[in-house]
Amino acid sequence: MTPDVGPREAALRVTNLHKAFGSLDVLRGISLAAHEHDVIAVMGASGSGKSTLLRCINLLDIPDAGEVHVGGELIHMCFDRRGQRTAADPRQVDRIRTRLGMVFQRFNLWSHMTVLQNIIEAPIRVLGVPRRRAIEQADQLLRKVGLYDKRDDFPAYLSGGQEQRAAIARALAMEPEVLLLDEPTSALDPELVGEVLKVIDDLAAEGRTMLIVTHEIGFARAVSSRTIFLHQGMVNEQGPSRQVLDEPRSERFRRFLSGGNWGRAALTTPSQTGGNE
Amino acid sequence: MVTLDLHGYGWMLWRGLGLTILVGLGAMGLAVALGLLGAWGKLSRYRAARWLAGTYTTVIRGVPELILILLVYYGVPTLVQDLAASAGRDLRVDLNPFVAGIATIGLIYGAFATEVFRGAIQAVPRGQIEAARAFGMGRALLLRRVVLPQMWRFALPGLGNVWMVLIKATALISVIQLEELMRSADIAARATRLPFTFFFAASLFYLGITIASMLIQRRIESWSYRGAPRGQG
Ligand SMILES: Nc1ncnc2c1ncn2[C@@H]1O[C@H](COP(=O)(O)OP(=O)(O)OP(=O)(O)O)[C@@H](O)[C@H]1O
Ligand SMILES: [Mg+2]
Repeated sequence: MTPDVGPREAALRVTNLHKAFGSLDVLRGISLAAHEHDVIAVMGASGSGKSTLLRCINLLDIPDAGEVHVGGELIHMCFDRRGQRTAADPRQVDRIRTRLGMVFQRFNLWSHMTVLQNIIEAPIRVLGVPRRRAIEQADQLLRKVGLYDKRDDFPAYLSGGQEQRAAIARALAMEPEVLLLDEPTSALDPELVGEVLKVIDDLAAEGRTMLIVTHEIGFARAVSSRTIFLHQGMVNEQGPSRQVLDEPRSERFRRFLSGGNWGRAALTTPSQTGGNE
Repeated sequence: MVTLDLHGYGWMLWRGLGLTILVGLGAMGLAVALGLLGAWGKLSRYRAARWLAGTYTTVIRGVPELILILLVYYGVPTLVQDLAASAGRDLRVDLNPFVAGIATIGLIYGAFATEVFRGAIQAVPRGQIEAARAFGMGRALLLRRVVLPQMWRFALPGLGNVWMVLIKATALISVIQLEELMRSADIAARATRLPFTFFFAASLFYLGITIASMLIQRRIESWSYRGAPRGQG
C-alpha cells in the first residue's frame, strides 16, 4: 500500500508487533489493520496477550519490535542510552493517545472525581477544550450512555455497569479515532453485562472504529465485522466474524469457542489478569 | 477540683506553649516539604535522586535526634566559621535557636514524612494512573490531577502521627536554650523548686495539644474522604 493515499489509510495499523516480559514471549509478530468503521473483536485464552496487544498499541507497554500507525502516523520509537526501546518523542505519544480512546476491564475511573469531572478532565486539561463546551459535550454523552442522573456522583457509588458506561463516556469525550476496549464486560456481574454491551452496540451502529477484546461470542458475532484469534503470541485465525465464529478453521479456535465461556472462567480468578492494572 | 498553684509562672508556661506550637507548625511545614521532595526522590527514575533520598532517610533514622539537634545548632555555625576562616575571613555566626529548632525538627521528621508520602503515592491505584496516561496526560498533569489529590487521602493518617510525635519531640530543643514549653517548665521548676508541679503542668499542656490535634485530624480526614469511600479502583 502506498503511504500517501490519505483517505484509504487504515485508522489503526499494527505491523509485526513483538513483546516479551522477561523470558515470556507474549506477542510474537502480530499484524492487524482497522479501517474506519471497522469493529474488530480480539479473542484468545487468558494470558494469550490480548491486553498486552492493546497496551502496546497506545504504548502503556513498550513493544520490543514492530510498528504502530494511527491514522497513517507512525509512532516513532528509538533506543535510549541503556539500549531500551522507548518512544522517540513522548509528546507524540501523548498526542497519539488522545486519538485512541481506552476502556479498561476494571474501568479505572478517577475515584476522587465525580462522573462529570471524570469525563471533562482530559478534554479540558489535555485537549484544551473550554470548560463550558466540555460540560455540554459530557452531558450529551451521559444521556447517550444513560447516566445523566449520576453525573455528580462519585464512582464508588455506581454499580459496575454504570462505572463502565461512565468510562466509555470518558473515552468518547476525547473524540477518539479508534476505541480500544479491553474486556469491557468481564469484570461485571452477569446481569450488568447487557447494559454495557448495548452501549457498545450503539457505538458500532454509529460507525465507530473499535478494537475490542471480548469473550462474548454472541456479541462479537452480532457487532464486530472481523474477529482475530490470538494463540501463543500470534494471530491464529482471522476473518469476517460470522464466518470464522461459525466455522472456525483452526483446531485451537474451535476448541476455544466450544470450550464454553472462557471469559467467565477467567474472571473468577482475577489474579490472572495481573498485567492489566 | 484540684488547682495547680503555678506561683506566678503560669504566664511563662503559656508563652512556652505558644513557642512550642510555633516551632511545631514551622517544623511540620518543613517536614511536609522535605517529605514530598524525599518521596519524589525515592520514586524517581533518576538513580542520583533515589540515592540522595535514601541516604537522607537512613542517616536521619540512624542518628539520635538529640545529637542531630546539637550537631545543627553547634555544628553549622562552627562549620561556617571554619570555612570563612580558611577563606581568610573572620566571621561570627550564631544560629537563632528558634530557626535551628525548626530546621532540625523539620529535617528529622521530613524523613518520616518521606516514608508516609512514598507509601501514599504507591497506594494510588495503578489503573487510575494508567488511565491518565492513556488519555494523553503528561507526567506533570498526571501528578497534579490524579496522584497528588488522591495521595493526600492516604497520607493524612500517617502525617497525623508524624505531627503528634513531632510536637513532643520539640521538647528536645530545650537543650539549645529555646524557651519553649519544656524549657519554660524547667526554668520555673528550678526557680520554685517545685519540679513535679511544673513538669506535671507541662505534660498537661502537651496532652492538650495532642487531644486538640486528634480532633482536628478527624475533621480533616472526614473532609478528605468526602464523596468517595475507599476500596475504589
Ligand atoms: N507487566 C507484566 N510483567 C510480566 N508479565 C506480564 C506483564 N503483563 C502481562 N504479563 C504476562 O503476559 C501474558 C499475557 O498477559 P495479558 O494480560 O496480555 O493476557 P490476556 O490475554 O489479556 O489475558 P486475560 O484474558 O486474562 O486478560 C500473561 O502471562 C501475563 O502474566
Ligand atoms: Mg487481559
